[in-house]
Amino acid sequence: MTDLAFLGIAEAAARLREGTLSPVSYTEALLERISSLNRRYHAFIRLTPELAIAAARQAEREIKEGEWRGPLHGVPFALKDIIDWAGLPTTAHSKLLIDHIAASDAWVSQRLKAAGGVMLGKLATHEFAIGGPSFDLPWPPAVNPWGGNHFPGGSSSGSGVALACGMLPAALGSDTGGSVRNPASMCGIVGLKPTYGLVSRRGVLPLANSLDHVGPMTRSVRDNALLLQVIAGYDGADPGSADVPGGDYLAGLERGVKGLRIGLVRHFYTEDLQAHPEQIAALDQAAEILRQLGADVQEIRLAPLEQYAVCTRIIIRCEAFAIHRPWLATRPDDYGDLARQRILDGAVMSAADYIDALRLRARLTRQTLDAFAGIDVALTASNMDPACRIDDAEACARLYPRQARQPFNVTGQPALAMPAGFTEDGLPLSLQLIGHPFQEAMVYRVAQAYEAATPWRERRPPGL
Amino acid sequence: MDKAMTKDELAAVAAAAGLPRLSDKHLEQLQASVAAADELSRRLPKDFDWTDELALTFRLRAPAGERP
Repeated sequence: MTDLAFLGIAEAAARLREGTLSPVSYTEALLERISSLNRRYHAFIRLTPELAIAAARQAEREIKEGEWRGPLHGVPFALKDIIDWAGLPTTAHSKLLIDHIAASDAWVSQRLKAAGGVMLGKLATHEFAIGGPSFDLPWPPAVNPWGGNHFPGGSSSGSGVALACGMLPAALGSDTGGSVRNPASMCGIVGLKPTYGLVSRRGVLPLANSLDHVGPMTRSVRDNALLLQVIAGYDGADPGSADVPGGDYLAGLERGVKGLRIGLVRHFYTEDLQAHPEQIAALDQAAEILRQLGADVQEIRLAPLEQYAVCTRIIIRCEAFAIHRPWLATRPDDYGDLARQRILDGAVMSAADYIDALRLRARLTRQTLDAFAGIDVALTASNMDPACRIDDAEACARLYPRQARQPFNVTGQPALAMPAGFTEDGLPLSLQLIGHPFQEAMVYRVAQAYEAATPWRERRPPGL
Repeated sequence: MDKAMTKDELAAVAAAAGLPRLSDKHLEQLQASVAAADELSRRLPKDFDWTDELALTFRLRAPAGERP
Protein backbone atom coordinates (compact mmCIF):
# COMPACT_ATOMS: atom_id res chain seq x y z
CA MET A 1 0.00 0.00 0.00
CA THR A 2 2.83 2.42 0.81
CA ASP A 3 3.77 2.17 -2.85
CA LEU A 4 0.39 3.53 -3.97
CA ALA A 5 0.02 5.90 -1.02
CA PHE A 6 3.03 7.97 -1.96
CA LEU A 7 2.76 7.66 -5.71
CA GLY A 8 2.97 11.04 -7.41
CA ILE A 9 0.72 12.31 -10.19
CA ALA A 10 3.40 11.91 -12.87
CA GLU A 11 4.26 8.33 -11.85
CA ALA A 12 0.61 7.37 -11.45
CA ALA A 13 -0.30 8.88 -14.82
CA ALA A 14 2.34 6.80 -16.58
CA ARG A 15 1.14 3.57 -14.93
CA LEU A 16 -2.53 4.38 -15.48
CA ARG A 17 -1.97 5.16 -19.13
CA GLU A 18 0.01 2.01 -19.85
CA GLY A 19 -2.57 -0.09 -18.00
CA THR A 20 -0.29 -1.40 -15.23
CA LEU A 21 -2.38 0.43 -12.63
CA SER A 22 -6.17 0.40 -12.52
CA PRO A 23 -7.90 3.69 -11.58
CA VAL A 24 -10.43 1.66 -9.60
CA SER A 25 -7.82 -0.30 -7.61
CA TYR A 26 -5.82 2.91 -7.01
CA THR A 27 -8.90 4.76 -5.79
CA GLU A 28 -10.05 1.86 -3.57
CA ALA A 29 -6.59 1.62 -2.02
CA LEU A 30 -6.52 5.33 -1.17
CA LEU A 31 -10.10 5.27 0.18
CA GLU A 32 -9.13 2.40 2.46
CA ARG A 33 -6.04 4.27 3.64
CA ILE A 34 -8.08 7.42 4.32
CA SER A 35 -10.63 5.41 6.33
CA SER A 36 -7.85 4.01 8.44
CA LEU A 37 -5.81 7.22 8.97
CA ASN A 38 -8.47 9.93 9.06
CA ARG A 39 -9.56 9.03 12.59
CA ARG A 40 -6.14 10.17 13.75
CA TYR A 41 -5.35 13.04 11.38
CA HIS A 42 -8.78 14.49 10.42
CA ALA A 43 -7.69 15.64 6.97
CA PHE A 44 -11.07 14.88 5.38
CA ILE A 45 -14.35 16.23 6.69
CA ARG A 46 -16.33 14.45 3.95
CA LEU A 47 -15.41 11.38 1.91
CA THR A 48 -17.30 10.74 -1.34
CA PRO A 49 -16.51 7.07 -2.10
CA GLU A 50 -19.46 6.49 -4.46
CA LEU A 51 -18.54 9.52 -6.52
CA ALA A 52 -14.89 8.45 -6.52
CA ILE A 53 -15.53 4.86 -7.61
CA ALA A 54 -17.90 6.01 -10.38
CA ALA A 55 -15.28 8.45 -11.71
CA ALA A 56 -12.56 5.81 -11.43
CA ARG A 57 -14.66 3.29 -13.37
CA GLN A 58 -15.32 5.85 -16.09
CA ALA A 59 -11.60 6.65 -16.28
CA GLU A 60 -10.74 2.97 -16.48
CA ARG A 61 -13.18 2.44 -19.34
CA GLU A 62 -11.98 5.51 -21.25
CA ILE A 63 -8.28 4.72 -20.86
CA LYS A 64 -8.87 1.13 -22.02
CA GLU A 65 -10.65 2.49 -25.08
CA GLY A 66 -7.70 4.74 -25.87
CA GLU A 67 -9.36 7.97 -24.76
CA TRP A 68 -6.66 9.14 -22.36
CA ARG A 69 -7.44 12.72 -21.34
CA GLY A 70 -4.08 13.65 -19.84
CA PRO A 71 -2.01 13.23 -16.67
CA LEU A 72 -4.91 13.76 -14.26
CA HIS A 73 -7.02 11.03 -15.88
CA GLY A 74 -7.88 8.48 -13.20
CA VAL A 75 -5.83 10.32 -10.55
CA PRO A 76 -7.49 10.90 -7.15
CA PHE A 77 -7.64 14.39 -5.65
CA ALA A 78 -9.65 16.34 -3.07
CA LEU A 79 -10.77 19.92 -2.46
CA LYS A 80 -10.48 22.28 0.47
CA ASP A 81 -14.04 22.65 1.68
CA ILE A 82 -14.51 26.20 0.48
CA ILE A 83 -14.48 25.02 -3.15
CA ASP A 84 -17.82 24.08 -4.72
CA TRP A 85 -18.54 20.68 -6.19
CA ALA A 86 -22.12 20.55 -7.49
CA GLY A 87 -24.39 18.47 -5.25
CA LEU A 88 -22.00 18.35 -2.28
CA PRO A 89 -22.01 20.60 0.77
CA THR A 90 -19.48 23.43 0.87
CA THR A 91 -19.27 24.06 4.60
CA ALA A 92 -16.09 26.10 5.06
CA HIS A 93 -15.69 23.85 8.14
CA SER A 94 -18.43 25.92 9.81
CA LYS A 95 -21.73 25.26 11.54
CA LEU A 96 -23.06 28.22 9.58
CA LEU A 97 -22.90 26.38 6.26
CA ILE A 98 -23.33 22.83 7.44
CA ASP A 99 -26.39 22.35 5.18
CA HIS A 100 -25.20 24.47 2.28
CA ILE A 101 -25.22 22.39 -0.91
CA ALA A 102 -23.29 23.75 -3.88
CA ALA A 103 -25.57 24.32 -6.88
CA SER A 104 -22.77 24.18 -9.42
CA ASP A 105 -19.10 23.42 -9.77
CA ALA A 106 -16.34 25.90 -9.10
CA TRP A 107 -14.26 26.68 -12.18
CA VAL A 108 -11.39 24.58 -10.84
CA SER A 109 -13.78 21.68 -10.16
CA GLN A 110 -14.96 21.86 -13.76
CA ARG A 111 -11.36 21.73 -14.95
CA LEU A 112 -10.52 18.75 -12.76
CA LYS A 113 -13.65 16.90 -13.90
CA ALA A 114 -12.84 17.58 -17.54
CA ALA A 115 -9.30 16.28 -16.95
CA GLY A 116 -10.75 12.97 -15.70
CA GLY A 117 -9.64 13.37 -12.07
CA VAL A 118 -11.21 11.24 -9.35
CA MET A 119 -12.78 13.35 -6.60
CA LEU A 120 -12.30 11.76 -3.16
CA GLY A 121 -14.01 14.33 -0.95
CA LYS A 122 -13.74 17.60 0.94
CA LEU A 123 -10.81 18.58 3.12
CA ALA A 124 -10.57 20.30 6.48
CA THR A 125 -9.88 24.03 6.58
CA HIS A 126 -9.71 26.69 9.23
CA GLU A 127 -13.25 28.02 9.57
CA PHE A 128 -13.94 30.26 6.55
CA ALA A 129 -10.20 30.01 5.84
CA ILE A 130 -9.46 32.33 8.77
CA GLY A 131 -10.27 30.81 12.16
CA GLY A 132 -8.00 28.01 13.28
CA PRO A 133 -6.85 25.75 14.64
CA SER A 134 -10.20 25.55 16.44
CA PHE A 135 -11.75 22.91 18.63
CA ASP A 136 -15.25 24.44 18.81
CA LEU A 137 -16.37 23.59 15.27
CA PRO A 138 -18.47 20.70 13.90
CA TRP A 139 -15.29 18.86 12.86
CA PRO A 140 -11.93 18.63 14.64
CA PRO A 141 -8.91 20.38 13.12
CA ALA A 142 -6.54 18.41 10.90
CA VAL A 143 -3.39 17.18 12.67
CA ASN A 144 0.11 17.15 11.21
CA PRO A 145 1.58 13.63 10.79
CA TRP A 146 5.03 15.12 11.42
CA GLY A 147 5.60 15.26 15.18
CA GLY A 148 3.42 13.82 17.91
CA ASN A 149 0.39 16.07 17.81
CA HIS A 150 1.42 19.11 15.81
CA PHE A 151 -0.20 22.01 14.02
CA PRO A 152 -0.26 21.44 10.24
CA GLY A 153 -0.53 25.14 9.35
CA GLY A 154 -3.53 26.58 7.67
CA SER A 155 -5.92 27.42 6.46
CA SER A 156 -5.61 24.67 3.82
CA SER A 157 -4.76 22.31 6.66
CA GLY A 158 -6.60 19.21 5.43
CA SER A 159 -4.92 19.51 2.02
CA GLY A 160 -1.45 19.56 3.57
CA VAL A 161 -2.17 16.73 5.98
CA ALA A 162 -3.79 14.47 3.36
CA LEU A 163 -0.73 14.82 1.11
CA ALA A 164 1.75 14.26 3.93
CA CYS A 165 -0.18 11.16 5.05
CA GLY A 166 -0.17 9.64 1.56
CA MET A 167 -3.97 9.81 1.32
CA LEU A 168 -3.86 11.33 -2.19
CA PRO A 169 -1.37 12.77 -4.70
CA ALA A 170 -3.12 16.09 -5.39
CA ALA A 171 -5.23 18.64 -3.56
CA LEU A 172 -6.35 22.22 -3.96
CA GLY A 173 -6.10 24.90 -1.33
CA SER A 174 -6.62 28.64 -1.18
CA ASP A 175 -4.20 31.38 -0.19
CA THR A 176 -5.24 34.87 0.99
CA GLY A 177 -2.42 35.57 3.46
CA GLY A 178 -0.38 32.40 2.94
CA SER A 179 -2.87 29.55 3.41
CA VAL A 180 -1.50 27.22 0.71
CA ARG A 181 2.14 27.85 1.62
CA ASN A 182 1.76 27.59 5.40
CA PRO A 183 0.50 23.98 5.44
CA ALA A 184 2.92 23.14 2.63
CA SER A 185 5.74 24.40 4.85
CA MET A 186 4.61 22.66 8.01
CA CYS A 187 3.65 19.37 6.36
CA GLY A 188 6.74 19.00 4.15
CA ILE A 189 4.99 19.23 0.78
CA VAL A 190 4.89 21.62 -2.21
CA GLY A 191 2.30 24.41 -2.44
CA LEU A 192 2.00 27.19 -4.99
CA LYS A 193 0.13 30.45 -4.76
CA PRO A 194 -0.17 31.33 -8.44
CA THR A 195 -0.17 34.86 -9.81
CA TYR A 196 -3.37 36.69 -8.85
CA GLY A 197 -5.85 36.06 -11.66
CA LEU A 198 -4.16 32.99 -13.15
CA VAL A 199 -6.60 30.54 -11.54
CA SER A 200 -10.28 31.47 -11.38
CA ARG A 201 -11.92 31.87 -7.97
CA ARG A 202 -15.43 31.35 -9.31
CA GLY A 203 -17.28 28.98 -6.96
CA VAL A 204 -14.73 29.40 -4.18
CA LEU A 205 -16.03 30.94 -0.97
CA PRO A 206 -14.14 34.23 -0.60
CA LEU A 207 -12.19 35.36 2.42
CA ALA A 208 -10.93 38.67 0.99
CA ASN A 209 -11.68 39.05 -2.71
CA SER A 210 -8.73 41.20 -3.63
CA LEU A 211 -6.20 38.84 -2.04
CA ASP A 212 -7.76 35.38 -2.64
CA HIS A 213 -5.94 32.81 -4.76
CA VAL A 214 -6.59 29.11 -5.46
CA GLY A 215 -3.46 26.98 -5.61
CA PRO A 216 -2.20 23.45 -6.25
CA MET A 217 -0.73 21.30 -3.46
CA THR A 218 1.29 18.16 -4.16
CA ARG A 219 4.31 16.21 -2.91
CA SER A 220 6.64 17.17 -5.77
CA VAL A 221 7.40 20.18 -7.93
CA ARG A 222 6.62 18.33 -11.17
CA ASP A 223 3.22 17.24 -9.83
CA ASN A 224 2.50 20.80 -8.81
CA ALA A 225 3.22 22.03 -12.35
CA LEU A 226 0.99 19.27 -13.76
CA LEU A 227 -1.88 20.29 -11.51
CA LEU A 228 -1.47 24.00 -12.27
CA GLN A 229 -1.53 23.18 -15.98
CA VAL A 230 -5.04 21.78 -15.49
CA ILE A 231 -6.53 24.55 -13.36
CA ALA A 232 -4.95 27.69 -14.87
CA GLY A 233 -6.84 29.70 -17.46
CA TYR A 234 -8.97 32.73 -18.16
CA ASP A 235 -12.52 32.78 -16.79
CA GLY A 236 -14.62 35.74 -17.85
CA ALA A 237 -16.99 35.11 -14.93
CA ASP A 238 -14.26 35.90 -12.37
CA PRO A 239 -13.65 39.67 -12.42
CA GLY A 240 -10.11 39.07 -11.13
CA SER A 241 -9.26 36.55 -13.84
CA ALA A 242 -6.38 37.59 -16.08
CA ASP A 243 -6.83 37.27 -19.83
CA VAL A 244 -3.25 36.24 -20.55
CA PRO A 245 -1.84 33.53 -22.82
CA GLY A 246 -1.64 30.15 -21.08
CA GLY A 247 1.78 29.03 -19.91
CA ASP A 248 3.54 25.70 -20.30
CA TYR A 249 4.63 24.90 -16.77
CA LEU A 250 6.48 21.70 -17.63
CA ALA A 251 8.53 22.58 -20.69
CA GLY A 252 11.42 24.27 -18.85
CA LEU A 253 11.33 22.17 -15.72
CA GLU A 254 14.64 20.37 -16.29
CA ARG A 255 16.64 23.31 -17.63
CA GLY A 256 18.46 23.86 -14.34
CA VAL A 257 19.51 27.13 -12.74
CA LYS A 258 22.88 27.77 -14.37
CA GLY A 259 23.12 31.48 -15.13
CA LEU A 260 19.85 32.39 -13.39
CA ARG A 261 19.85 35.37 -11.04
CA ILE A 262 18.33 34.58 -7.66
CA GLY A 263 17.66 37.33 -5.13
CA LEU A 264 18.00 36.22 -1.51
CA VAL A 265 15.66 38.22 0.73
CA ARG A 266 17.58 37.49 3.93
CA HIS A 267 16.44 40.51 5.93
CA PHE A 268 12.92 39.03 6.12
CA TYR A 269 14.13 36.22 8.39
CA THR A 270 17.24 37.65 10.05
CA GLU A 271 16.30 41.32 10.70
CA ASP A 272 12.58 41.98 10.28
CA LEU A 273 11.91 38.74 12.13
CA GLN A 274 14.44 36.41 13.70
CA ALA A 275 13.72 32.92 12.41
CA HIS A 276 14.45 29.69 14.29
CA PRO A 277 18.21 28.93 13.94
CA GLU A 278 17.59 25.66 12.13
CA GLN A 279 15.31 27.47 9.66
CA ILE A 280 17.96 30.13 8.99
CA ALA A 281 20.59 27.44 8.47
CA ALA A 282 18.30 25.58 6.03
CA LEU A 283 17.74 28.75 3.98
CA ASP A 284 21.43 29.62 3.88
CA GLN A 285 22.19 26.06 2.83
CA ALA A 286 19.53 26.26 0.08
CA ALA A 287 21.16 29.45 -1.24
CA GLU A 288 24.53 27.68 -1.27
CA ILE A 289 23.09 24.65 -3.12
CA LEU A 290 21.61 26.91 -5.78
CA ARG A 291 25.00 28.64 -6.12
CA GLN A 292 26.69 25.27 -6.54
CA LEU A 293 24.15 24.44 -9.25
CA GLY A 294 25.28 27.52 -11.16
CA ALA A 295 22.87 30.26 -10.11
CA ASP A 296 24.06 33.76 -9.28
CA VAL A 297 22.61 34.26 -5.78
CA GLN A 298 22.81 37.81 -4.42
CA GLU A 299 21.03 39.44 -1.49
CA ILE A 300 18.31 41.93 -2.33
CA ARG A 301 16.21 44.13 -0.06
CA LEU A 302 12.46 44.61 -0.15
CA ALA A 303 10.31 46.77 2.14
CA PRO A 304 10.24 45.61 5.77
CA LEU A 305 7.88 42.69 6.45
CA GLU A 306 5.93 44.84 8.89
CA GLN A 307 4.60 47.00 6.05
CA TYR A 308 3.29 44.03 4.06
CA ALA A 309 1.81 42.54 7.25
CA VAL A 310 -0.18 45.60 8.24
CA CYS A 311 -1.37 46.07 4.66
CA THR A 312 -2.56 42.46 4.35
CA ARG A 313 -4.19 42.33 7.75
CA ILE A 314 -6.27 45.45 7.25
CA ILE A 315 -7.42 44.40 3.78
CA ILE A 316 -8.31 40.85 4.88
CA ARG A 317 -10.21 41.95 7.97
CA CYS A 318 -12.18 44.66 6.12
CA GLU A 319 -13.09 42.56 3.09
CA ALA A 320 -13.91 39.53 5.24
CA PHE A 321 -16.21 41.57 7.45
CA ALA A 322 -18.08 42.90 4.43
CA ILE A 323 -18.66 39.31 3.32
CA HIS A 324 -19.66 38.03 6.76
CA ARG A 325 -21.72 40.93 8.09
CA PRO A 326 -25.11 39.40 7.18
CA TRP A 327 -24.23 36.19 9.07
CA LEU A 328 -22.61 38.00 12.00
CA ALA A 329 -25.74 40.13 12.25
CA THR A 330 -28.08 37.15 12.48
CA ARG A 331 -26.09 34.10 13.65
CA PRO A 332 -23.02 35.27 15.58
CA ASP A 333 -23.16 32.23 17.87
CA ASP A 334 -22.67 29.85 14.95
CA TYR A 335 -19.06 30.95 14.41
CA GLY A 336 -16.14 29.46 16.29
CA ASP A 337 -14.44 31.89 18.64
CA LEU A 338 -11.32 32.39 16.51
CA ALA A 339 -13.09 33.14 13.23
CA ARG A 340 -15.56 35.48 14.95
CA GLN A 341 -12.74 37.37 16.65
CA ARG A 342 -10.72 37.82 13.48
CA ILE A 343 -13.70 38.82 11.34
CA LEU A 344 -15.04 41.23 13.98
CA ASP A 345 -11.80 43.21 13.66
CA GLY A 346 -13.10 44.48 10.32
CA ALA A 347 -16.29 45.83 11.90
CA VAL A 348 -14.42 48.62 13.64
CA MET A 349 -11.77 49.57 11.09
CA SER A 350 -12.26 52.86 9.35
CA ALA A 351 -12.89 53.23 5.63
CA ALA A 352 -9.95 55.64 5.52
CA ASP A 353 -7.61 52.97 6.93
CA TYR A 354 -8.87 50.47 4.35
CA ILE A 355 -8.21 52.99 1.57
CA ASP A 356 -4.75 53.72 2.96
CA ALA A 357 -4.04 49.97 3.07
CA LEU A 358 -4.95 49.84 -0.63
CA ARG A 359 -2.65 52.79 -1.29
CA LEU A 360 0.09 51.00 0.63
CA ARG A 361 -0.56 47.91 -1.48
CA ALA A 362 0.00 49.88 -4.68
CA ARG A 363 3.20 51.38 -3.28
CA LEU A 364 4.58 48.05 -2.02
CA THR A 365 3.76 46.31 -5.29
CA ARG A 366 5.58 48.96 -7.28
CA GLN A 367 8.62 48.82 -4.98
CA THR A 368 8.72 45.03 -4.96
CA LEU A 369 8.49 44.67 -8.73
CA ASP A 370 11.23 47.30 -9.08
CA ALA A 371 13.46 45.22 -6.78
CA PHE A 372 12.77 42.16 -8.95
CA ALA A 373 14.00 43.93 -12.09
CA GLY A 374 17.48 42.42 -11.84
CA ILE A 375 16.54 38.89 -10.83
CA ASP A 376 14.69 35.88 -12.20
CA VAL A 377 13.42 34.51 -8.89
CA ALA A 378 13.65 35.43 -5.20
CA LEU A 379 14.40 33.05 -2.36
CA THR A 380 13.28 33.65 1.22
CA ALA A 381 11.59 32.04 4.20
CA SER A 382 8.01 30.87 4.23
CA ASN A 383 7.67 30.03 7.93
CA MET A 384 10.02 31.37 10.59
CA ASP A 385 9.54 28.30 12.78
CA PRO A 386 8.79 24.61 12.55
CA ALA A 387 5.34 23.43 13.67
CA CYS A 388 4.27 23.72 17.30
CA ARG A 389 1.85 21.43 19.15
CA ILE A 390 -1.73 21.90 17.95
CA ASP A 391 -3.11 21.90 21.50
CA ASP A 392 -0.82 24.79 22.50
CA ALA A 393 -3.08 27.73 21.60
CA GLU A 394 -0.55 30.32 22.72
CA ALA A 395 2.21 28.86 20.55
CA CYS A 396 -0.13 28.63 17.54
CA ALA A 397 -1.12 32.29 18.03
CA ARG A 398 2.53 33.32 18.42
CA LEU A 399 3.64 31.52 15.26
CA TYR A 400 0.71 32.75 13.15
CA PRO A 401 2.24 36.14 12.21
CA ARG A 402 5.83 34.85 12.07
CA GLN A 403 5.97 34.29 8.33
CA ALA A 404 7.05 35.90 5.04
CA ARG A 405 4.20 34.87 2.74
CA GLN A 406 1.93 37.91 2.92
CA PRO A 407 4.19 40.14 0.78
CA PHE A 408 3.27 38.10 -2.26
CA ASN A 409 -0.45 38.17 -1.60
CA VAL A 410 -0.03 41.94 -1.55
CA THR A 411 1.89 41.99 -4.85
CA GLY A 412 0.04 39.05 -6.42
CA GLN A 413 3.30 37.40 -7.57
CA PRO A 414 3.60 33.61 -7.85
CA ALA A 415 5.13 32.10 -4.71
CA LEU A 416 5.94 28.48 -3.96
CA ALA A 417 6.72 26.84 -0.62
CA MET A 418 8.61 23.54 -0.49
CA PRO A 419 10.63 21.37 1.92
CA ALA A 420 14.13 22.59 2.80
CA GLY A 421 15.16 20.02 5.40
CA PHE A 422 14.16 18.88 8.86
CA THR A 423 14.85 19.98 12.42
CA GLU A 424 16.78 17.74 14.78
CA ASP A 425 13.35 16.74 16.13
CA GLY A 426 12.25 15.63 12.66
CA LEU A 427 9.89 18.52 11.83
CA PRO A 428 9.84 19.93 8.27
CA LEU A 429 11.69 23.14 7.42
CA SER A 430 10.78 25.09 4.31
CA LEU A 431 11.74 27.74 1.80
CA GLN A 432 9.82 30.04 -0.51
CA LEU A 433 10.57 30.93 -4.15
CA ILE A 434 8.91 33.94 -5.76
CA GLY A 435 8.70 34.87 -9.44
CA HIS A 436 7.66 37.70 -11.70
CA PRO A 437 3.91 37.87 -12.42
CA PHE A 438 2.78 34.97 -14.64
CA GLN A 439 6.25 33.40 -14.61
CA GLU A 440 5.27 30.30 -12.66
CA ALA A 441 7.38 28.26 -15.10
CA MET A 442 10.55 29.99 -13.87
CA VAL A 443 9.60 29.39 -10.23
CA TYR A 444 9.05 25.70 -10.98
CA ARG A 445 12.37 25.52 -12.84
CA VAL A 446 14.33 26.70 -9.80
CA ALA A 447 12.23 24.59 -7.42
CA GLN A 448 12.79 21.48 -9.54
CA ALA A 449 16.56 22.00 -9.58
CA TYR A 450 16.64 22.38 -5.79
CA GLU A 451 14.33 19.41 -5.23
CA ALA A 452 16.47 17.19 -7.47
CA ALA A 453 19.63 18.21 -5.59
CA THR A 454 18.26 17.43 -2.12
CA PRO A 455 16.84 14.33 -0.41
CA TRP A 456 13.94 15.97 1.46
CA ARG A 457 11.19 14.70 -0.83
CA GLU A 458 12.01 11.09 0.00
CA ARG A 459 11.33 11.33 3.73
CA ARG A 460 7.98 10.12 5.12
CA PRO A 461 6.27 10.98 8.40
CA PRO A 462 7.14 8.44 11.11
CA GLY A 463 4.97 5.34 10.92
CA LEU A 464 3.53 6.20 7.52
CA MET B 1 -9.35 54.04 21.98
CA ASP B 2 -7.22 51.61 24.02
CA LYS B 3 -9.18 52.19 27.22
CA ALA B 4 -11.85 49.65 28.07
CA MET B 5 -15.28 50.62 26.76
CA THR B 6 -18.46 50.03 28.69
CA LYS B 7 -20.88 47.37 27.61
CA ASP B 8 -23.30 50.04 26.41
CA GLU B 9 -20.59 51.74 24.38
CA LEU B 10 -19.61 48.45 22.79
CA ALA B 11 -23.24 47.63 22.02
CA ALA B 12 -23.55 51.02 20.32
CA VAL B 13 -20.42 50.31 18.24
CA ALA B 14 -21.86 46.90 17.31
CA ALA B 15 -25.21 48.41 16.34
CA ALA B 16 -23.48 51.02 14.19
CA ALA B 17 -21.65 48.19 12.42
CA GLY B 18 -24.94 46.41 11.76
CA LEU B 19 -24.51 43.75 14.47
CA PRO B 20 -27.50 43.94 16.81
CA ARG B 21 -27.31 40.40 18.22
CA LEU B 22 -23.89 40.23 19.82
CA SER B 23 -23.86 38.62 23.26
CA ASP B 24 -21.75 39.82 26.19
CA LYS B 25 -19.03 37.37 25.14
CA HIS B 26 -19.11 38.71 21.59
CA LEU B 27 -18.92 42.27 22.88
CA GLU B 28 -15.75 41.33 24.78
CA GLN B 29 -14.36 40.14 21.46
CA LEU B 30 -15.42 43.43 19.90
CA GLN B 31 -13.45 45.24 22.59
CA ALA B 32 -10.37 43.31 21.49
CA SER B 33 -11.18 44.19 17.87
CA VAL B 34 -11.33 47.89 18.71
CA ALA B 35 -7.86 47.63 20.23
CA ALA B 36 -6.57 45.64 17.22
CA ALA B 37 -8.01 48.13 14.72
CA ASP B 38 -6.48 51.01 16.64
CA GLU B 39 -3.09 49.32 16.69
CA LEU B 40 -3.20 48.53 12.97
CA SER B 41 -4.21 52.10 12.20
CA ARG B 42 -1.18 53.37 14.16
CA ARG B 43 1.11 51.02 12.20
CA LEU B 44 -0.06 52.27 8.79
CA PRO B 45 2.27 54.77 7.05
CA LYS B 46 0.96 58.33 7.34
CA ASP B 47 2.59 59.87 4.30
CA PHE B 48 -0.12 59.25 1.71
CA ASP B 49 -1.63 62.14 -0.21
CA TRP B 50 -4.10 62.62 -3.02
CA THR B 51 -1.56 61.52 -5.63
CA ASP B 52 -1.35 58.01 -4.16
CA GLU B 53 -3.59 55.78 -6.28
CA LEU B 54 -5.33 52.72 -4.82
CA ALA B 55 -4.24 49.19 -5.67
CA LEU B 56 -7.75 48.51 -6.94
CA THR B 57 -8.81 50.68 -9.83
CA PHE B 58 -12.22 50.47 -11.46
CA ARG B 59 -11.89 49.54 -15.11
CA LEU B 60 -14.36 49.11 -17.94
CA ARG B 61 -13.84 47.06 -21.06
CA ALA B 62 -14.86 48.26 -24.48
CA PRO B 63 -17.62 46.15 -26.01
CA ALA B 64 -16.42 43.43 -28.36
CA GLY B 65 -16.78 44.07 -32.09
CA GLU B 66 -17.35 47.19 -34.16
CA ARG B 67 -19.86 49.84 -33.05
CA PRO B 68 -21.25 52.61 -35.25
